[in-house]
Amino acid sequence: MNRLKNSLNGLTVVKVLIFIFFGLFMLLPLLSVFVVSFTGEPTNLLGALTDPAILNSTIEKFKNISLDNYKRIFSNAGYATALKNSLVLAFTVTIIIILVCIPLAYGIARTKMPFKKTISALCMIPLIVPTFISAYAFIIMFGRAGWVTQIYNALGGEGMLLNPYSMAGVVAVQVFFFFPYALWPLVAAFKVSDISLEEASQNLGAKSWFTFIFVTFPLALPGVISSALLIFTVSFSDFGSPIVLAPKDLNLLVVEAYREISGFFNWGGAAILTVVMVIVAAFFFYLQHLFTKGKNYGSVSGKPKQQKLIENKLLTRVLSGYSLFIVLIPLLAMLSVALQSVATTWGKDLLPSGYTLNHYKTIFSTSMGNIQNSIMLATGALVLSVIVATFVSYFVVRQNSAKLDFIASIPLVVPGIAFGIALIQTFNTAPLQLTGTALLLIIAYTIRRLPYMVRSTMGSMRAIKADIEEAAVNLGATPLTAAITIVGPLMLPGIAAGSVLVFITVIKEASVSILLAPPEWAPMSLAIFQNILRAEYYSAAAMSVILVALVLILQAIASFIGKKQQL
Amino acid sequence: MGSVRIEKMTKSFGDFTALHDINLDIKEGEFFALLGPSGCGKTTTMRCIAGFENPTSGRIYIGDREVEKIPANKRNCGMVFQSYALFPHMNVFENVAYSLNIKQLNASNPIKQMGIYGRLLSSRLGKYPADIRNKVMEILKYVELDNHADRLTSELSGGQQQRVALARALVMEPAVLLMDEPLSNLDQKLRHSMRNTIRKIQQDLGITTIFVTHDQEEAMSMADRVAVMDKGHIVQIGTPTDLYSNPSSPFIADFVGTSNILEGTVEGEENGFTVVKGEGFLLRSSTKTKKKSVDVIIRPEHVKVEAADSVIDHNETNVIEGTVIMSTYLGSIVRYDVQVGSYQLIVDTTYSSGANIFEEGKKVKLTVEHERVLLI
Repeated sequence: MNRLKNSLNGLTVVKVLIFIFFGLFMLLPLLSVFVVSFTGEPTNLLGALTDPAILNSTIEKFKNISLDNYKRIFSNAGYATALKNSLVLAFTVTIIIILVCIPLAYGIARTKMPFKKTISALCMIPLIVPTFISAYAFIIMFGRAGWVTQIYNALGGEGMLLNPYSMAGVVAVQVFFFFPYALWPLVAAFKVSDISLEEASQNLGAKSWFTFIFVTFPLALPGVISSALLIFTVSFSDFGSPIVLAPKDLNLLVVEAYREISGFFNWGGAAILTVVMVIVAAFFFYLQHLFTKGKNYGSVSGKPKQQKLIENKLLTRVLSGYSLFIVLIPLLAMLSVALQSVATTWGKDLLPSGYTLNHYKTIFSTSMGNIQNSIMLATGALVLSVIVATFVSYFVVRQNSAKLDFIASIPLVVPGIAFGIALIQTFNTAPLQLTGTALLLIIAYTIRRLPYMVRSTMGSMRAIKADIEEAAVNLGATPLTAAITIVGPLMLPGIAAGSVLVFITVIKEASVSILLAPPEWAPMSLAIFQNILRAEYYSAAAMSVILVALVLILQAIASFIGKKQQL
Repeated sequence: MGSVRIEKMTKSFGDFTALHDINLDIKEGEFFALLGPSGCGKTTTMRCIAGFENPTSGRIYIGDREVEKIPANKRNCGMVFQSYALFPHMNVFENVAYSLNIKQLNASNPIKQMGIYGRLLSSRLGKYPADIRNKVMEILKYVELDNHADRLTSELSGGQQQRVALARALVMEPAVLLMDEPLSNLDQKLRHSMRNTIRKIQQDLGITTIFVTHDQEEAMSMADRVAVMDKGHIVQIGTPTDLYSNPSSPFIADFVGTSNILEGTVEGEENGFTVVKGEGFLLRSSTKTKKKSVDVIIRPEHVKVEAADSVIDHNETNVIEGTVIMSTYLGSIVRYDVQVGSYQLIVDTTYSSGANIFEEGKKVKLTVEHERVLLI
């Protein structure tokens, strides 16, 4: 009894609240989606706990549990194709990205190619831009009226160089906008692998291409595989580019699931697709985790190795030209969006017919609300995730709560669209009717981006020794007061860095916004998406530019904080 | 101020028992040392008193208050941590003022609390009331740090940091002061002067103080009484002189100062002395014992070295014959390693200039008075 009383201090209450938070807003939705995928109709698990009538009907539904739905998915051509297409998409993107990145990474890591700094800097662009904007940029470039198509036709080509509204279009967007995820791990892998082994190979008489294929590449292979698995998960879960580009006859899981829920309210179908998505994403995430466990390719530590960079003129020039081509495409895509945002009209011509700031004026007069919404929602998610992440890292680091550590990393494997469907499905009826409220949107953003925040706060938490906290308690502070006055301020740099990251990702977020945002809370991403759907391309472009500018500013703040922290 | 009493305290971590049946009775105003090798349970004992560990069973009293169910923040034990655990984001003044802020926080209404939280987070967000300011400056003056009040703790030397930690613990007027290896992070020279400083402060304030150390010299020179611990047991409690001259076990004899420990068998009694025989020696001791096999303890400085041909009255003192295998000149003393049977005895003799030193290989006679041969 006494033990119970002792442990019932403020911190324990907080811990319980955190578990309730995750349980209610993450585990319960995922569980109920799982249940619905079997019952085929909405199941109100929360209601079953509070209302006997609902409990009875839920029990009825449980009696109907069958594998019928799953049987149907494999007989339903639509679903099966969707799964197949999604896997093909992710697989193709992965292979292409790895092939594209190997020369690029090799050039950055091992050669003195010209414009290396510029190339590295330009590789940041794809990370800043949300994929639904990149997809839309590809329409401006490669669409029927796109300027690339114009050039292509002028040069004698027929039709389109690349049809953006196709599988190839989705692949292209993902390749050019996801490659940095693989690039930096690969650069690290190439830097780490031992140069003296290569020299030994050359010394033994091997030609340099032979050395690359049989020595350098195998040494970097673990890095390559782990990046490939990461890309696979990212591509598989991406919602932005398929929803903008995928044509009606191209079934993809994310798009299919979105249509089931927003068009047909087919709970059973959406649930099955969600479960399949989570399983696939979790499996590949797990593979990647398994692969990187105990290895640290990202960080080069210890004694700096003397790196001899290759200076061969022909090789470095070819590599440099190739790299510039790769990084220029995202840049051109963004410039196209910027150009469209100031164009009066931009039809089937190389350049717009005239320039105007009217689209920005329109945005600032009619769509100011979306910008405000984005900032308010992102701030809300930031505050909530700071609170949750700080306590989560406290419990994980100080009390070795492995359970919380695991729970807080679950969002990493749940695709946004899947999580959105799970939330809608769980909270659209009493007792907790939250669907369509800003609160649920904020909670969704928070949970989705929590792993970033936790990683950041956990780092600073580990740097605080336990006895500093004990000293505070010894001086009369309750554990909670000690956490607020000592641990909190000491974690501030980590919290600040994590918050900026959360803010940025929330502003960029597409899937959850599109699924969950009520009209009066529509953020910028949803407004852009709707504008694209309504073919209001000029306002979409202007809004995109504002969004990217906002992200750029925040990114600058983040790197400033990061630098200050290192000093 | 208060006494500290521990009754039948045990502490287990899973299958491992860190403390077995600890009983301590520390008087008010006493300077008490917990001494032992690492892993002996001395720090765990202290952490139980401070409230950072809950004893598995037993009772702890501070003054008349039974505390083992009182949380650490309400025990009023000032603690000086081994690493000092100063708050790195606060300056010296704010570190020392922390406990006073917390005290005020607990006694205030929510609105006032906001102001106190404010100044706890940054001194720019709230002003310190005069009474706190004066009290902090007074204690800083006492530890000679009043000129450093605005410094960050990272800018201070090790000795200064130690004094901040001490001031921070003292300002709350604790019932007991706990110090965990307070000198281990200081260099040799500083350690010596800090020893005196701590002892002086303790005497000035008359505060009950418990300190943990693995350094017997530190414990013996500072403490009023010492508890020697080994493997989770308290093996002996006593004044430093008590421990030195009457160790209760070979472990203590060895841990507290240097000892020669020989195994012997009691042969009988002769003229009121106990006769002990062992490999290469026959000794008479004034210690009475009922045991048959005993450990014979002889301190190095209680042995005299005489030439092999000197004539000694065997009734007056014990005589052992041996061979010098090494002599080390240490300034004021000469240390001999003497082979006696299968034992190598350590012998310290005071050296006065001009006296001759027995060379290696020389046969010698060692003499020890009957009172100086301890049987355990």
